[in-house]
Amino acid sequence: MKAGIPPAATAAEAIALSDLVKCYGSLRAVDGISFTVPEGEFFGFLGPNGAGKTTTIHCLVGLATPTAGSIRVFGNDVVRDYRAARQLVGLCPQEFNFDRYLTNRETLLYSAGYFGIPRNECQTRADELLKRFDLWSKRDETSVKLSGGMKRRLTIARALIHRPRILILDEPTAGVDVELRLELWRFLKELNEEGLTIVLTTHYLEEAETLCKRIAIIDGGRIVALEDKDALVARLAGHRLRVVYARPLDRPIAIPGIEVEGEGQQVTVQVKDPGQIATILAQLATFGQILDVAVDRKNLQDIFLELTSRSRSVAPETLAGKRLS
Amino acid sequence: MNLIGLQTLARREVKRTFLILNQVVWPPVISTLLYFFIFVIGFGRAVGRMEGLPYVQFLVPGLIFMNVVEASFGEAAASLFLMRFSSSIQEILVAPLSYPEMVLGMLSGSTMRALVIGNLILLVSWPFGGPLPHSWPWYLALIVVVSVLFSSLGLVMALWAESFDQLSIASTFFITPMVFLGGVFTAAGAAYRQLPAAFRSVVFYNPMLYLVDGFRTAITGHSNPFSIQIAGLLLPMWTLDLVVATLGATLAFLLAMVLFSRGFKLRT
Repeated sequence: MKAGIPPAATAAEAIALSDLVKCYGSLRAVDGISFTVPEGEFFGFLGPNGAGKTTTIHCLVGLATPTAGSIRVFGNDVVRDYRAARQLVGLCPQEFNFDRYLTNRETLLYSAGYFGIPRNECQTRADELLKRFDLWSKRDETSVKLSGGMKRRLTIARALIHRPRILILDEPTAGVDVELRLELWRFLKELNEEGLTIVLTTHYLEEAETLCKRIAIIDGGRIVALEDKDALVARLAGHRLRVVYARPLDRPIAIPGIEVEGEGQQVTVQVKDPGQIATILAQLATFGQILDVAVDRKNLQDIFLELTSRSRSVAPETLAGKRLS
Repeated sequence: MNLIGLQTLARREVKRTFLILNQVVWPPVISTLLYFFIFVIGFGRAVGRMEGLPYVQFLVPGLIFMNVVEASFGEAAASLFLMRFSSSIQEILVAPLSYPEMVLGMLSGSTMRALVIGNLILLVSWPFGGPLPHSWPWYLALIVVVSVLFSSLGLVMALWAESFDQLSIASTFFITPMVFLGGVFTAAGAAYRQLPAAFRSVVFYNPMLYLVDGFRTAITGHSNPFSIQIAGLLLPMWTLDLVVATLGATLAFLLAMVLFSRGFKLRT
């Protein structure tokens, strides 16, 4: 099919964003972001609601027009060479957007048609995909009767019908129960192992940790972190130990190599290695009688707060300068 | 050119039409039969001839026109609006389709519906003494041109409207009154003579008048005997019919194309 002819020079770069800006009126939803995704990578695009994830995805797939900057898909500009670019991308949107007049099998066939694939060439592929995503028994029904998980699988099958080389999933597991989430993860891992480049937006750190090789974190329309998942998790993840003393302490807590926050009866300690918790707790106990202890794993929200407060305090001039350029 | 994509869009519109037969195909057939019952069987003898034609021959082209307008406008407006409403328009926006391909795909779908319905009206009128087209090529070409005109307007309305309520504004306040006043049931000449002198020329500013007359000319071979003076030239009515139809279709089509190519309410 058509999606098989990469421009040789840039074949390794599946996606290249360069200074992408998208404004809605005075709101800069995406504020000058750049990154590249090599072919075959499982790329995680993380951020809180309203950070600019979906806007970026929409610029990439053609649902929004960039205000400035450029996006290339295997070397094809998504605005100028939109036909070639769109042919290479399959989108699973966040909201279900099936055509209500089509059966599930037709959903795949019509989508293939919009991508210029003749009907006799896509029937076999449609049937393969329906079987692979366990939708074969529902092929002649409409999407209205499908469960949430089935609808999600149908969006993936539809995104794959024209044999794209990049699959983009916009929050595929939002509001999906644990079992279905695991099932989707299995499908996505398989597809990535087959060589498909996958970009996944999510606000679950766990999902990105399980699936992605590299992660970008976006906040307020800017990239605040972009690195290998392992490095990011090692650098930022960890545990938080909260201790409540029975009485206000009469001397400040000083433990070498450990940073302690808080005052009065309650203190918080950031712990990188869970193995240290017991030792730290013993040391804390030497400062007074402990009334209560709580340990929790740092979540994405904490990481966001850390990253965003840092990006705002460290280099406001740089960011402002970037905005003007 | 993504011809398969364009065909798929048209095919989707036709499929939609056949899935909602009870909403879009049977109502025009039944209302046509009811009009016959009232006007041909009920009043026909009293009316006698109109513009030199037996009343049933006078009426059928108007009814075909009216239903072509409704089918084209309705299909384009409702289909695109529902696609916007349900976000399924995104399926088309992420595909490698150009704006002209999108517009042409949707228009061919609604034009096919108009052709089916126009001919269905012709067919059910025939046993009641309805005419068969005097010129098949002109008759079919007019259906296509008029359908492009009103389908394009339907697309424009579907982009503009934010609710079903707004979507109905065009047909309720403009299209239906103008069609009824455009000489579908009554001769324009009769209306002209009944109006006070100051309003007489208003009749001739209604573009529907020329479109209805175009259909009547193509189907019966008889045009409205009126001639109209423009800039010192005395033009027979049928020439104006052609001008209004082609000009209207071109302008409406261009308007739809401009809105699509700006991504108006389609792309953010």
